[in-house]
Amino acid sequence: MEKQHHIQLLPSDIGETVFLPGDVSRAKIIADHFDSAELVVSSRQYNTFTGMYKGVKVSVTSTGIGGAAAAIAIEELVKIGAKNLIRIGTGGMIQTWLPRPAVLVITGAVRGDGTTREYFPPEFPALADFHMVESMLASAEELEIEVHAGYEWSHDAFYAGSTLSKLDIMEIEKPWIDAGVLIVSQEASTVFTLATARKCRGGVILASAGCHQYPDESATPEEMTTAISNATRISLETAVKLHQLDHGS
Amino acid sequence: MNKQAQHRQHHINLLPGEAAPTILVPGDPGRVKLFAEQMDEAWKVAEKREYITYTGKKDGVLISCTSCGLGPSPTAIGVEELIRIGAKNIIRVGTCGALQPFMKAGDIIIATGAVRGERCAEEFISIDYPAIADYRIVRASIDACERLGLTYHLGLVRTHDAFYLESPWAHGDYKARLQKWVDLGVLAVENECATMLVIASMQGVRAGTILLSSDPIFGERENDPDLEKHKRDLVRVGIETAKILHKKGLD
Repeated sequence: MEKQHHIQLLPSDIGETVFLPGDVSRAKIIADHFDSAELVVSSRQYNTFTGMYKGVKVSVTSTGIGGAAAAIAIEELVKIGAKNLIRIGTGGMIQTWLPRPAVLVITGAVRGDGTTREYFPPEFPALADFHMVESMLASAEELEIEVHAGYEWSHDAFYAGSTLSKLDIMEIEKPWIDAGVLIVSQEASTVFTLATARKCRGGVILASAGCHQYPDESATPEEMTTAISNATRISLETAVKLHQLDHGS
Repeated sequence: MNKQAQHRQHHINLLPGEAAPTILVPGDPGRVKLFAEQMDEAWKVAEKREYITYTGKKDGVLISCTSCGLGPSPTAIGVEELIRIGAKNIIRVGTCGALQPFMKAGDIIIATGAVRGERCAEEFISIDYPAIADYRIVRASIDACERLGLTYHLGLVRTHDAFYLESPWAHGDYKARLQKWVDLGVLAVENECATMLVIASMQGVRAGTILLSSDPIFGERENDPDLEKHKRDLVRVGIETAKILHKKGLD
């Protein structure tokens, strides 16, 4: 098999579980949480590290921002044998009761993006794999990390739906706030629908510094570093649990 | 936002307190009787149109069953009104057409989510919003099937409006119409799941769906000689699920 077009990887290059940060530099930060890790390849915004964690081979591939880039990574990773795709990302919360910072286990996504509209009919739901959700919640409990579970509004235009937008985001986001959606980000709908269609597991865990309603009351960078680290630790334990589920312990 | 109303709901004809926190919802009003028969004690609390409600006790746990009729429209009414009288867990127990060739008549399907092929829930919220079963109800349903030794499948179902377009008795080439959902791994086709999941989840109420494969569409088609037993099994799974939710403090 030739190397995949964008990620430049072969089947032997990755574990069954691949973590998917958006931020290119976060791939190394996540890999630093493995027991061992090596940079496999750096191609465009796709940086891949592979290593071991508690005896399980795991990888991390940065996807860049947005559904379009994430879909490319997922399609190519699945072709070379990825079974569990876990996005570790960030987003802006839209429920004022959530703590700042917070770690959120995403169970489903509002399909506000264009990539999944091109792939699937609009009625096809974006939902996380059930075992992924259960494993993340159990891991969080074991690690004594507070998490909240719920939906993400996935969309394409950062400068239309963020605190840096010039538009009235409270008006844009009102239907999702009213329906209890927890957070705004960009990739969960793509991860979930593509994973479902390609018969593998998709999961998303997000760290968030703050809430769109209170743009001036976000967590500090240091607090966010800890939140991202906590999301990573939960994801690693989730990889171990899924490995046990598929292969025994 | 649960607005607890002190007056009888317009269609289900119930007051707060007349239904248990966990309510099983069949489409068929006749199936409420199957529920009542399997409880240690059960009493009818309301009957109006297709909405019949029994409340009862099984092994000390209070559980209700409210039929909501066939299709998204009466289901949306029933679910909305059950939420207004304080429902905590709303669980559809229904029949469906199984889509995957490996599924057999009598198998149980636990929906993790639903394709929103119906129109009713779109009046509440954009089609972008997902129809997802609450993971705690999914887990309780899995444990219930395992406890009862029943074969179950976990995954997506497709909800739609027009029964006579997608069923073994449908017009024309219904298999061709359904093929894209088969390819996407959808397990079954039915008429109420997505409506219930969307309306409940957007109000923060737990909902789930447990289905009986009564009419396999792509497997071996045959009349299930044990259909009545299998319908009782379906209701047993619902009751067991409610008991598990109670034990976990989720009612």
